[in-house]
Amino acid sequence: MSGANLQPGLHRPSTPAAIVRAWAPVLGCLVLAIVMQLVVGPLLVRMGQDFAAKLLLDIGTNAILAVSLTMVNGFTGQFSIGHAAFMAVGGYVAAGITYYGSYRLFGSPDLAAGMLSTSTGAGSGLFTKGDGLFLGSIFAGGLVAAGCGYLVGLPSLRLKGDYLAIVTLGFGEIVRVLIQTQTTDTLYDPDTIAQTPAWELPKYLGGALGFSGLPSYTSLFWAWLFAALTILVAYRIKASTYGRAFLSIREDEIASEAMGVDTTRYKVRAFTISAFFAGCAGALFAHTVGVQLNAGELGFAKSFDIIIMVVLGGMGSISGAFFAAIILTILPELLRNVAEYRMVAYATALILMMLVRPEGLLGVREIWEKRTWRAIARIGRRGTP
Amino acid sequence: MTEKLIQTLMDGLAVGSLYALIALGYTMVYGILKFINFAHSDVFVLGAWMSYTVALCAGWPDGQPTHMATWVLLLLVGIAVAGGLVAGFTYWRRKRIAPAAYTLWLVSGWGWVAVLLVLLARLLHQNGFDIIAGGVILVCSMLTCGVVGFALERLAYKPLRNAPRLNVLITAIGVSLFLQNLGQLDWMFGTRPQGMPQLLPDKVLFNFAGTPGANPGEWLVQPVRVRLLDVIAAGTSIALMVGLDRLVFHSKLGRAMRAVSFSERNAALMGIPVDKVVSFTFVLGAMLAAAAGFLYSQKYPGLGQTAAAVWVLLGLKAFVAAVVGGIGNIRGAMLGGLLIGLAEMFVKAYQSPSVVDIYVFGILIAVLLVRPGGLLGKATVEKV
Amino acid sequence: MSDPVLHASGVCKSFGGLKAVQGFGVSLQGGDLKGLIGPNGAGKTTVFNLLTGVYTPDEGKITLAGRSIAGIRPSRIAAQGMARTFQNIRLFGELSVLDNVKLARHVRVKHGMWASVLRTPASYAEEAEIDAKARELLALFDLADRAEEQGKNLPYGDQRRLEIARALATNPKVLLLDEPAAGMNPQEKKELRDLIRRVRDEFKTAILLIEHDMGLVMEICERITVLDYGKTIAEGTPQEIQANPKVIEAYLGTGDTGEEGDQKPEAARA
Ligand SMILES: Nc1ncnc2c1ncn2[C@@H]1O[C@H](COP(=O)(O)OP(=O)(O)OP(=O)(O)O)[C@@H](O)[C@H]1O
Ligand SMILES: [Mg+2]
Repeated sequence: MSGANLQPGLHRPSTPAAIVRAWAPVLGCLVLAIVMQLVVGPLLVRMGQDFAAKLLLDIGTNAILAVSLTMVNGFTGQFSIGHAAFMAVGGYVAAGITYYGSYRLFGSPDLAAGMLSTSTGAGSGLFTKGDGLFLGSIFAGGLVAAGCGYLVGLPSLRLKGDYLAIVTLGFGEIVRVLIQTQTTDTLYDPDTIAQTPAWELPKYLGGALGFSGLPSYTSLFWAWLFAALTILVAYRIKASTYGRAFLSIREDEIASEAMGVDTTRYKVRAFTISAFFAGCAGALFAHTVGVQLNAGELGFAKSFDIIIMVVLGGMGSISGAFFAAIILTILPELLRNVAEYRMVAYATALILMMLVRPEGLLGVREIWEKRTWRAIARIGRRGTP
Repeated sequence: MTEKLIQTLMDGLAVGSLYALIALGYTMVYGILKFINFAHSDVFVLGAWMSYTVALCAGWPDGQPTHMATWVLLLLVGIAVAGGLVAGFTYWRRKRIAPAAYTLWLVSGWGWVAVLLVLLARLLHQNGFDIIAGGVILVCSMLTCGVVGFALERLAYKPLRNAPRLNVLITAIGVSLFLQNLGQLDWMFGTRPQGMPQLLPDKVLFNFAGTPGANPGEWLVQPVRVRLLDVIAAGTSIALMVGLDRLVFHSKLGRAMRAVSFSERNAALMGIPVDKVVSFTFVLGAMLAAAAGFLYSQKYPGLGQTAAAVWVLLGLKAFVAAVVGGIGNIRGAMLGGLLIGLAEMFVKAYQSPSVVDIYVFGILIAVLLVRPGGLLGKATVEKV
Repeated sequence: MSDPVLHASGVCKSFGGLKAVQGFGVSLQGGDLKGLIGPNGAGKTTVFNLLTGVYTPDEGKITLAGRSIAGIRPSRIAAQGMARTFQNIRLFGELSVLDNVKLARHVRVKHGMWASVLRTPASYAEEAEIDAKARELLALFDLADRAEEQGKNLPYGDQRRLEIARALATNPKVLLLDEPAAGMNPQEKKELRDLIRRVRDEFKTAILLIEHDMGLVMEICERITVLDYGKTIAEGTPQEIQANPKVIEAYLGTGDTGEEGDQKPEAARA
């Protein structure tokens, strides 16, 4: 027996050190988001790269979507193809709150934002009441989406694999159709809005035409704050004993259950958490400049876009999903030159990718793991993985 | 009241049989390779558009001809020549003609048949045999889609036969996107919606029941109308389905298909040519989808662009039909198709067209929760 | 005598018309090491599946440390102190060897998921403890220098040992081993024998062992139960089992068919 190899492994930090290590990264997320908003954004605009700033914002939202889906499809190995529905739920809930909330609270749907919520980084004050409303609406959207995630996760009691996937798809379509058909035109008149009781307002979310006139609160700050927090939470879950529980379900559900992991409960949990972040992303998406919130665009096709990010990045790899979100946000823009061939080229690239590198960019690895760099070094030396 | 009920029932069966035809393709591929071929519905769309193109080539007047015909011809010549080059090259280097050459010739040969069929349809149309010409167009469109199905399987899916299922699924999505967007290019079908010419006369075969009004042609209660088109659609679908059922359950090839479906590896060990069986399955599925596409374009002549949401949703509902019936189960697909068709028509007639999808997907979820393997399917249990 | 940790009686299970297990009973105390043998298809693995909750028994009582566990889900049975290995190895292939064992500690974790996300001091403490325990077990099973490798890359014998280590990491009162020596060479089998004994002595676990290698079973088990076609045909010490004509018949088949059983207790004793 090689008792000598009993490495120290993890050591336990002292309580103050533990608290610092727990909260410093959260602070880091905040700082990153502020830097994005107040330094990077204005710099890009100053250089005339407004478009790059817009892309950067989309990258943030897409990163949230991809990383959150990774928790279901990557960690627990369940297969959700209705992720965009959670986005729609979160988006509509948040949009309803900011739009009608602004009317009720501030008298008009105009932006009442501070420096952190304007595209230019200009604005009065750092954090205004409008920002507060927006933040609250993001959380509300996330929570309602999480509730839906819980509901969608429940069938995993009985269904596995493809069948579960199909149920998520069905759910997604139902959500889309419900929003499109069961809500009607947005109200524009302040008096009508003031007189309509609050519980009736959810009827007026725009219907098939989409919900327009929303205040555009989403800025680099919000997008990147939530992206960074999503990644942090995903990372911490993955690196903890709970992450191992999730991953073990992906690897072998029966063995996982035999080792004491309540697989159903964890699957439902994965769905719930993932839906929460998707809901937040939906809220951010809804309030992005130039976006007309429309459930029709948050169907099946959008869900597939997100799945493609997850698979491209490598199933279960947080950093992989993040890079894939970057690539797949920029790629379609690069392909804009070839206009009509854009989607054909995109589809071809996708098929080729699956043929050439089926495990995605990073496979199950993370960019911060040593073995990833060893593998990259190997590719560098030999030209093959 | 009964009139409306019976009418809805008949409409439901007519639409349901189309769903069933598409669902069969999903189910056959799933049964054999255990993956959801998301590109299947695009083959159906292709079938509809091919019928349109062929009809134009055959000289139907209304609608603008597309460039497709020229391209198809050029492509066929190109493929044949490519086959010749491959054959020549491999014979020169290895004194053996590569199988790829045969594949290319097969594809192009198949295409020449299609060209002949177009000419035949033209001839028939000019001499007034429109219904027969319609049949020829149907066959032509089925052949073309068969080739497409064959090519897709060989090029995109076969290399991934042993890859994780998610990869195959993503590839299928890729293929689906590819077909959708390829179809929208100007030299293909373009982005403009087109009107399918009326190949089969849409006349009412006979009426029954109903309460006539005072004047002739006026009705107090609308009678049940039996339309020729619906009869042809349902008849064709049922004939194809019965044929397929016999093929799968009463022929040697069908036995091979079922064997591959049971275990690809064991089937291979027993000397079953797995690749051929799989290719055949894809071709068959694609042809059925094309038939559905043709019939659909007759019933609903407004053809939207290939990436239109309507198509996607239609394919999705056919897929739901396959799952509800029990995916992998051929009779289940037929049952599911009819069920979804009926549900759709009843909701349309008695509630509102806008909530149809809620019901369809609601049925899907409810069925899966009660019977996880679908109505006729068996849920698999993993042995520990 | 103290109460048994595991007690089962009258356990039955049929699959359609096939009576896979009929009237099975077993009673184990801490530190017991019992064998479960029988020809292929006798129902041994099914017994394990019934005990661990993978299948629900049609009839019969099963108690673990005095509490009934018949019909509750496997994860809860595991939490109450039952662990197993699988006949066809079921490791978490993509996870590292260390993580395989660490996962098994999860069932004993007290802090919640939000504590993990917020990285509370308690979560740090428990993670460190999990890590230490897991490494300890790996060292015991001679797998410490392979800790970072992926489970699927281990050689077969190591995978079997890792499965045992993983099962032990849940702190079980009862350990069920399904053919742990399958596919091992004689040297590995000898080491395995010592290991099983050591586990029993050090952890005071009750062990139920399915094994086709009669040499191993006869050598380390105190008592043996023999199954054939789902029925218990004999129970007793290794000596009694070897002398039991019913057992010999079950393994060798009835005389005139001349059918050959794949393992012969008599031959294996030599
Ligand atoms: N889930 C199931 N469904 C149907 N039959 C089953 C199932 N599980 C086991 N059986 C059957 O029950 C019988 C007992 O199987 P079991 O796996 O318990 O045998 P075993 O004693 O472990 O055999 P071996 O030594 O080959 O492992 C076999 O005939 C098997 O086919
Ligand atoms: Mg067994």
